[in-house]
Amino acid sequence: MAASEQPALQPRRAADLLDRVEKNIHVVIVGKDKVVRLALAGLVAGGHVLLQDLPGTGKTMLARALATSVGGTFRRIQCTPDLLPSDITGSSIFNQKDLTFEFVPGPIFANIVLADEINRATPRTQSALLEAMGEGQVTVEGATRTLEKPFFVVGTQNPAEFHGTYPLPESQLDRFVLTAEMGPPTDAEAMEVLARREHGDPIANLTAVIDIREVIELQEACLRVVAAPAIRTYIVALLDAIRTRPDVLLPASMRSGVYLQRAAQAWALFEGRDFVLPDDVKLLTVPVLAHRLGMRGRGKAADALNEIVAALPIPPLRQH
Amino acid sequence: MAALIHRFKLWPSPVENSIEGRAFVFSGFTVAVLAIVLYGQDYAVPAVGVAAAAAGHVVSYRERNRRRGFWRQVFLAALIFGALFYVLADSTLALFGGVLPQANFAILLVAITSFDLKTRRNCYSSLWISLAILYLAAVYAWDYAFGVLLVLWTLCLVGFWTASHLRRLNADLRFPVEGVTMMLVAALVAGVTWFVAVPQPSGLPISPLVISLPNFTNFQGNLESPALPLIQVSGDQSGATSSVDLRFRGRLGDAPVMYVRTGAPAYWRGLVFDTYQNGVWTASNRSFRDLPPYVPPRLLPPAPARNQGTFVQTFRVLRTMPGVILAAYPIESLYAPVAALREDVYGTFHTPDQLRAGQTYSVVSYIPDLSPDALRTAETGSSPYGDNLAGGLSPRAADLAAQVTAGANNEFDTVMALTAYLQHNYRYTLDLGRVPTGQDPVDWFLFGVKSGYCEQFATAETLMLRSLGIPARLATGYATGEYDPVLNQSVVREHDAHAWVEVWFSGHGWVPVDPTPGVSPLAVTQMPSHWAAGGIARLIPHLTLGAPAAALGSLGALAVFPAAIAIAFAVVLGLAWLRRRTWIRRRTAQPGESELLRLYERLQRRLGRRRAPPETPLEYQHTMHSSLLEEVTRAVNEGVYAGRWPEPGRVREMASGVPAKSRRRL
Repeated sequence: MAASEQPALQPRRAADLLDRVEKNIHVVIVGKDKVVRLALAGLVAGGHVLLQDLPGTGKTMLARALATSVGGTFRRIQCTPDLLPSDITGSSIFNQKDLTFEFVPGPIFANIVLADEINRATPRTQSALLEAMGEGQVTVEGATRTLEKPFFVVGTQNPAEFHGTYPLPESQLDRFVLTAEMGPPTDAEAMEVLARREHGDPIANLTAVIDIREVIELQEACLRVVAAPAIRTYIVALLDAIRTRPDVLLPASMRSGVYLQRAAQAWALFEGRDFVLPDDVKLLTVPVLAHRLGMRGRGKAADALNEIVAALPIPPLRQH
Repeated sequence: MAALIHRFKLWPSPVENSIEGRAFVFSGFTVAVLAIVLYGQDYAVPAVGVAAAAAGHVVSYRERNRRRGFWRQVFLAALIFGALFYVLADSTLALFGGVLPQANFAILLVAITSFDLKTRRNCYSSLWISLAILYLAAVYAWDYAFGVLLVLWTLCLVGFWTASHLRRLNADLRFPVEGVTMMLVAALVAGVTWFVAVPQPSGLPISPLVISLPNFTNFQGNLESPALPLIQVSGDQSGATSSVDLRFRGRLGDAPVMYVRTGAPAYWRGLVFDTYQNGVWTASNRSFRDLPPYVPPRLLPPAPARNQGTFVQTFRVLRTMPGVILAAYPIESLYAPVAALREDVYGTFHTPDQLRAGQTYSVVSYIPDLSPDALRTAETGSSPYGDNLAGGLSPRAADLAAQVTAGANNEFDTVMALTAYLQHNYRYTLDLGRVPTGQDPVDWFLFGVKSGYCEQFATAETLMLRSLGIPARLATGYATGEYDPVLNQSVVREHDAHAWVEVWFSGHGWVPVDPTPGVSPLAVTQMPSHWAAGGIARLIPHLTLGAPAAALGSLGALAVFPAAIAIAFAVVLGLAWLRRRTWIRRRTAQPGESELLRLYERLQRRLGRRRAPPETPLEYQHTMHSSLLEEVTRAVNEGVYAGRWPEPGRVREMASGVPAKSRRRL
């Protein structure tokens, strides 16, 4: 494609590519512009995304549509309590023909992995998955195998269900760059969903609109987006404000600040910008930080974050 | 309409994170409450208020980031209404017998609202209510200590402002304890050295710098004022015609009439009367001469023989008074900021109009040698009034005078004998009642009630001296007043209004003699022993706004403390500022940067609502609907967040789109 001939992906062209992917996903997902963009931003930022909502709200559909649209290999792990770590990473099988052990890679060896209902897997399995997410490699029987790039995990979980689930500990939640909630559809959206599925499922006809090399280029372009000193000041002030809030028990980690900056960089690409605006940071504060905060009492992390963002002054424009 | 509401809507004030700032707010309140305790003599509510406010400050600091709970707000509102009920009950029914119900209400208001001080604006509101409390206390205060409280409150305001700003700048500030201590000690040493080293000869006439608005009206006459109750001035153009009627006397209150900054205690003489008829004193000679507002010594009579020096008095009038210059006599020179002065034949100066509150004037007076020895040598010389002495006195009073002074063989002893007789045998009273109809007031005094006011004493002595052939006349004015050696200042009140006698001694002129019991017969001017502090007060130029300076002066060496604190404040602020400058100065402005940001600021002002600190430029632009703002915002975002500033020429192009002055929406 044309993109490969260019030495560096220009922001305008990146926006075009992303727009193409978004449009393609919207063939399947009706509405939910922000969630779609968040999921895609997670991919561009080189992180992993956790989708949370009730069953049947389109989490899996979104992940599948995303995977199909960007090409690359796609595997799906349906997490259950009896899922073993080796079911994910793969294991060596004794080949009786030439009397050797042969490694059969598990579903984790793919560009895009959908870990469905991740909280239903046992903690042991979860940690195997999360190690792969964090390191970009798996170690099976002493041999470390690097995962293919890009490696993008979309986890989904159902927050309402508690029976037979193992809620992810905070340290593991911290690995996801952002979370997104699907939210209920509007009536018009619901009717549109029904209409599109009258004569079959549209995902069957979905094709890739960009290839995996372009995804890597997008990820590289994301790293080139400028986050000005003022943005860094703002993020630090934000983390500081969270830390000093009395109702926050577990404040945001430094990693979350890094993720916030990276996600904001990815977000800037969607608008064809090569620099981050404080608006990007504001918009991404809840998706990136909310799932990491531990709150005292019944306070909602998202509410607290919204309050902080509404009151925190942005760094002065004039800096001399 | 919505736009109008929008325009007047306050942008959200930032949460106040500075604990020092909050301490200053609380201190400001404490100062105000202290004023109420000192001047209102009320203790219960202030104590409760301070305790509650302290608790409230702790609570609101801890919970400053938490959302306001609905029920708590309702509870606080209910408490405020309770306080309102209290003030109504206390002020109309005196249920609780409060001295200052409105001040107590304000105290309760601050105490209640201190539980809800989240933002800077809240803290400022609390401080302003404290100022209102101080204002209420001011109703009862007139001394300089109040000025100290006001200064303290101002320090709290400045402190809060400073602390809050430093906190907002995230200034990493360590209080330079060592530096400030050094500065305080140095200031103290310098102040003491300066005080010790500067010579302060007591007799040196240091002309005070007088600043008060000049009065340019012409002479009007018709001056009547209850402020000088002994004399009703209602006369011709010179203002010299006036009278003292012995048969009536107004009641004299305690209200201050004027402050006198003086080097020595003296009687402040006003009008002089020489003609007595049927219980009424009048002035016989109404001629006068015009003088400029500054009367130099050459225009006035020369110094009396064996003059002991001069001293300066500066008068600050506190309420409307007749246009008569009250001063210690004889006068060396005089300055009054009025259009012109007139001197009547008795040496009293008149101003064209009434003396109004705030009017200041200065007088330098001689200190004549009025010791008994000096006066005893004086011979009974030619009277300035010739034989026009007798009259008004009944024969038996004249007999009494002759009988009392039988043993005296010179003028001074005669005067002293008569004065001593009056002082010892007659009682001073303020409850005289009316002189019976048809009776001569002097006779009634001498042989009837045997008690009276200062006018009775002075009149009787004057007439009796005249019957003995000694020239005498009645002088009126004010006694020294409550002399404060610390401030070097007298507070003269209504009840200090006084009348005394002036006796002519050849070679000495008119000598004041006071026959009223309880005072020294010779109203001599004496140099007071100068206090250390009084010395400093004298060196400070006395301005119309001189009370704070005088208050500082009264602190003596301590006066350097406020100055040192102020200097320390300035230094700390300057250091913080410098640090901030150097910290950020590493980056120099790009071409176009300041131009663009200035344009952005100007555009915000023109649009009628400025960007709130938490608002991003883009959010601001979305609420304002202005195409020019859209363009400028895009440029600002590019500049601030991508470092790509526009060409200055491009900025000028954009700036040309900003309307000149109108506040209409763009």
